[in-house]
Formats: sequence, C-alpha cells, structure tokens
Amino acid sequence: PAPAEAGRVPGPPDGGWGWVVVFGAFVSIGFAYAFPKGLAIFFKEIQDFFGTSYSEIAWVSSIMLATTYGAGPISSILVNRYGSRPVVMFGGLLCGVGMISAAFCTSILQLYICVGFITGFGLALNLQPSVIIIGKYFLKRRPIANGLAMAGSPVMLCTLAPLNQFLFDNFGWRGSFLILGAILLNCCVAGALFRPIGPGTARVKTQVTEEAKDALKGKITEDAPMESKAEEEEGKDCFEKVNQYLDFSLFKHRGFLIYLIGNVLMFLGFFAPIVFLAPYAKHTGIDEYSAAFLLSILAIVDMVARPTTGIVANSKWVRPRIQYFFSFAIAFNGACHLLCPLASSYTGLIVYSSFFGLAFGMVCAMLFETLMDLVGAARFTSAVGLVTIAECCTILLGPPIGGILIDTFGDYKYMFIKCGAVMVLAGTFLFIMNYYNYRMLAKEEKERKKKEEDPKCVRTENEGKKNWNKDSTQDGPELEPLRQKGEGVKKEMNGT
Amino acid sequence: SLEKNISLASPTKVELTCKLDENTNLKNPQVTWKKGSETISHTSKTKNSWTIQVTISDRSQLGSYTCIVKDEKEISATFHLHVPKVEGREKPIITYEGDRAVMVCKTEHNSKAWTWYMTNGTELVAINKILHADKFQIKRPSANVNRLEILKLTKKDGGEYWCEASFDLGSSKTRFELRVLSITAPLKPFIAVVAEVAILVVTIVLYEVYSKKKGKGREKEFDQIEQL
Repeated sequence: PAPAEAGRVPGPPDGGWGWVVVFGAFVSIGFAYAFPKGLAIFFKEIQDFFGTSYSEIAWVSSIMLATTYGAGPISSILVNRYGSRPVVMFGGLLCGVGMISAAFCTSILQLYICVGFITGFGLALNLQPSVIIIGKYFLKRRPIANGLAMAGSPVMLCTLAPLNQFLFDNFGWRGSFLILGAILLNCCVAGALFRPIGPGTARVKTQVTEEAKDALKGKITEDAPMESKAEEEEGKDCFEKVNQYLDFSLFKHRGFLIYLIGNVLMFLGFFAPIVFLAPYAKHTGIDEYSAAFLLSILAIVDMVARPTTGIVANSKWVRPRIQYFFSFAIAFNGACHLLCPLASSYTGLIVYSSFFGLAFGMVCAMLFETLMDLVGAARFTSAVGLVTIAECCTILLGPPIGGILIDTFGDYKYMFIKCGAVMVLAGTFLFIMNYYNYRMLAKEEKERKKKEEDPKCVRTENEGKKNWNKDSTQDGPELEPLRQKGEGVKKEMNGT
Repeated sequence: SLEKNISLASPTKVELTCKLDENTNLKNPQVTWKKGSETISHTSKTKNSWTIQVTISDRSQLGSYTCIVKDEKEISATFHLHVPKVEGREKPIITYEGDRAVMVCKTEHNSKAWTWYMTNGTELVAINKILHADKFQIKRPSANVNRLEILKLTKKDGGEYWCEASFDLGSSKTRFELRVLSITAPLKPFIAVVAEVAILVVTIVLYEVYSKKKGKGREKEFDQIEQL
C-alpha cells in the first residue's frame, strides 16, 4: 500500500446504502414527531368516555412529549453502547406494545402510562438514533440527508391525520389504538435498515479500494494495543466511565454551549403558534374547515422546505457558514410571528401560514445538522441527548405560557408577539455568538497548524480530544477526512 | 333575507326589533310584523325601527316572527323562537362487545328533565323506566349535560338511541347511533400490518446476510490473489 494512504481512514460513504438509511430515518423521525400530534383526533371521544376534563386529556400529549424529549440522554447512552439499530428496533417494539396495551385501558391513569410513558419512551428511542446514524453515513452530503430525513415529520403528519380519522370512524378509539400499535411496529422495519457502520468495524461498506482496506486493517492492529491500554486507564476512573457513555465534557465545548442556550431559548416560542393557529383563525371568524386548511398549507410548504433547505445548506457558499444560515432561519421565523397580528383577513393568514411553513421547515431541517457541525459526528450521540433533555422544559412551557397570555389579555396578538420576540432574540444571540465562535476556531486552527509542523509531537489521549473540539468547518467539509487521524479511530469505535 | 335563532327555555317576554340601516333612504316604508299568516300590531315605532313585544307563556307562541319592509322593494327578516337544541353525536359511536358505551348530551340552557329512549323495533322505549343499574347508568355531571352509560355491551345493544331534554316550553331530541363490533373486527387489519412488518424485517435481514456473504467471497478472492 502506498505510504500516503497508510495514514488515511475512509470517510463516511455519503451515498449508496446511506440513502436507504435516510429513508429509514425519514419513517422513524416522522413517527416520532407526527404521532403525538395525530393523536389529538381521539381526545374528544376519550374525554367523553372517561368523563374527564379537557386538561386531563391534554396531559396525555404532554407526558408523551416530555418523555420523548426527556429520555434523550438514555437514548444516547444506549446508542453509545449498542449502536443505532438495536435501539430503534427496541423502540419500535416498545411503541407498539404501548399503543396495543392502551387499547385495553380502563382509566385515564392507565392511558397516561401506556400512551404517555411507554409509547413516548419508544419514540425517544426512535428519534435520537435515527438522527445519529445519518451523521455516521454522511459527511459531504449531510445537510441534504438531514433535510430529507426531517421531511418525514410533515409527510407523516399529513398521512396520519386522515388515517387516524378513518380508523376512528370505523373502529372507535380502542380499535384505532390497536391498529396504530401495529403501524408503529413499522419503526422496527426502519431500524432494520440501520446497518451499523464505522471506520473501525470490519463490515464497512464504502467504495474502498483494496489497498485502503488493507491499510485500514493494518491501522486497527496497530491501534489495538494502544487502545486497550487507554481503556484500562479509563476504567479506573468512574467519572471517565460515565463519560464514555454520555459525554459530559461537552459542557466545556464552546460551540455546544452556544447551541444549547440558543435552542433552549428558541423552543419557548417555537411550537405555540402552531398550537394556536387554528383557534386564532376561528377567533377571527373563519370557519373550522378553512382554519384546518391553514394547517395543511403549513404542512405542505414545510414538506417542500425541508429538503430544499438541505440542498441549499449543502452548497459551497452556505455550508461553511451554516450556523449563520440557521440563526437567520430562526430570526425569520420570529419576524413572521411578529408580523402575524397585522394579518386580519383570510388571505393574510394564508400568506402567514406559507411563510411560517417555510421558516419552520428551514429551522427543523438544520436543527440537528448544525449540532453535528459544531461537535462532530462522534460526540453528536451524547450531544443530542443532552440537548433534548434541556429543550424538554421549554418545549413543554411554550404553549401553556402562550395560553396564559391569550386568556389574560383575551387577544392572540400578545402570544404572537411573545413568540416572535423570543425567536428573534434567539436568532440574534446565535448569530453573534457563532461569529465569535468562528473567529476563535480560526485562531485555534492557526495554533494547531503551527504545532503540527513539529514532527516529534506525541499525540496523547487529551490532545486527541482537543482535536475533536476544534472540529472547524471553516475550511469546508472536504478537509475533514484528512484530519481524522488514527486517534480519531477510537472515538469512532465508541460511537458505532 | 335575514334570519336569527333564539333559544328559549322558560316562559318569558321578548322584544323583537327590526332596524333600518341609516344609509338607506326609503321614502315611505310600510312595515308589517307577521307570525305565519297572522299580522301583529307594533308596540313601538321610532324613525327607523319597528318593535313588537311578545309574551311567550307556552309552546304555541314559539315559532317564526317576520318583519316585512315594503317600499319599492320588499325585504324581510325572520326571528326563529324555539326551544333550546340538544347536541349529541352525528357520526355513529363505535364500541366493542363487553365494553361500555357512553353517550353525552348537551344543551345551552339548563334542562328541567332528561329522558333517554332506545328503539325496540319501531317503538321508543324510555330507558329511565327500565333502569337496570348494572346495565344502564344515567349521570348528570352538570345541569346542562347528561350522560348515558351502557355497560356489558352485546351486539343487540346496537342501534338508535334518543336523548330528550325537557324545558318548560317544550322538549327537543337528538339521535345517537350505536354500533357494537366484535373484537375480531380490528384484529384483521392488525394482523395484516404485523405480518407486513415481520415480512419486511425478515427480508431486510436476509438481504443483508446475503450481501455480506457475497462481500466475504470477494475478500477471499482478493486474499487468494495476493497470496499468489
């Protein structure tokens, strides 16, 4: 093998089986986001059946949402340990079991457990691993892959809404839950498509030449003794062991912290407008079907916006500055909400719904892509878990705060102003902080290049970690594989 | 023509006014109030409005009151006075054998009494009278809501049910349709979907094993070539 290739680890495939994985992620993510929203159709009937108030039923949705986001770290730990495929298949099984047992529930409390906790936890085990495995299969085309996979959410919602209505009309709520349990088992099919991948595994399915494969085999035998020594050292420290499964050192990562604060703030105003769009339309005198049509417009624009944003984000002008694009999308979203109170006619609301759909799709398509961009594919597993549990609180708080604003003032415009202001603030914060982050990364990159000139430099574990911290994309994604030196192999192995 | 619905539960006095828009310039408008074909005399008249006062003491006074404005053209506006309507469920309620059915009936005003009927052939039989506590339960969570629960459902329990709310001025009914399915009904699509999932998973796994074997075969070939 040529000496130049001996030091090179093949990068992610960026295609081939990767597109099948994107389809699987499309299904999985679609169920995770759309299923809780689709359940709303059954609530009136269940409320009558158990004789409860509306807020008691709404708890089912809230518990489900809270569990899906709150179980993020558990999902991350399991993926770090077992890989994406078993976790998603187990998640699909859990969702199915949850909904099937919900069909036989005799009290609202049992519904909280079956639909809320069990199905919610199953969906959490679907969402995270799907996003994680995209990072493993794609690098150069990762934004497109992310955009396509995230498009699963609006597509599934548009499919589930009429399907749920049909099931409900023909089978009542119990029969519908039973059949929905079976439908959720399709997440297991999606999981089956998630073939494990990583530069360290022997079953790597990349377009690798024989020489590169031999080079890889040689690299593994070289690294194995070094790796086992390193693992022994780690095993002695308990904190390090926990870190192996859930990377808490991320809290020292500048990019991660910026992302975390910006996103937690953004989610305060993200979902409330969708929840209140139809009631607001009815409040201005529009009939029920036209109000529902607004949401359909939103979903259709969203569906198209997500893959399109992925393609735009992948272009060579945007990719190096993707964080700015993300901040712009959030601020654009906020601006839409701020302008909404000015739209009083039905045409105005249609315009608002279209722009909202566009902005919503843009943000969602890049939600995980930007995090991957900041922390790198290896640490993304832990990062996504930590981010979702932090977002959990604000996601749950957003709509109720909006509801309180509407009830106190009797006017929807204050809710829109609050959401708009929060998102514009979040967008501006991210924009400024990422500008600072890019400059710091450029500085650190210069320092690192100076050190690299020194041939006697011994690469220890800590330096390897620092290299991952400085996962700068300013030079463009093409240069990333070149920086994945041998030390990077160990981290990849952990993340399979 | 314009119409307005007014719900009245108990005897009361109502004042109905027809008011002309200030912009309309009618030279000599002739306004008549009618109930059906009977003409009613005005109680009061101002420059642009004509009012009648009606005392509703029993159901015969309910109905449609129309004011007709005749000038060059004829415009009319109608007030429909009726007993409060009852809200139920238009779509059929789907339940299962052994489960219980719940039918909820609502009105705007507080009802004096509620009666539930089930159809026995073509007859309406009041359930309140045959109240078997282990089969039928009627609950009243609030003054304007009434709940009928039918326990231990069988196929025979399916059919039409009526909920009647009685007011001083009359009563109004709404219809419910109950369908009792057997547990096997949703089982067929359920098993179909589970079978689809199982087939797909097995296919995917088999395909993967097959393509791995092909890959290993190629590896062995390369190793052999290198040895040579």
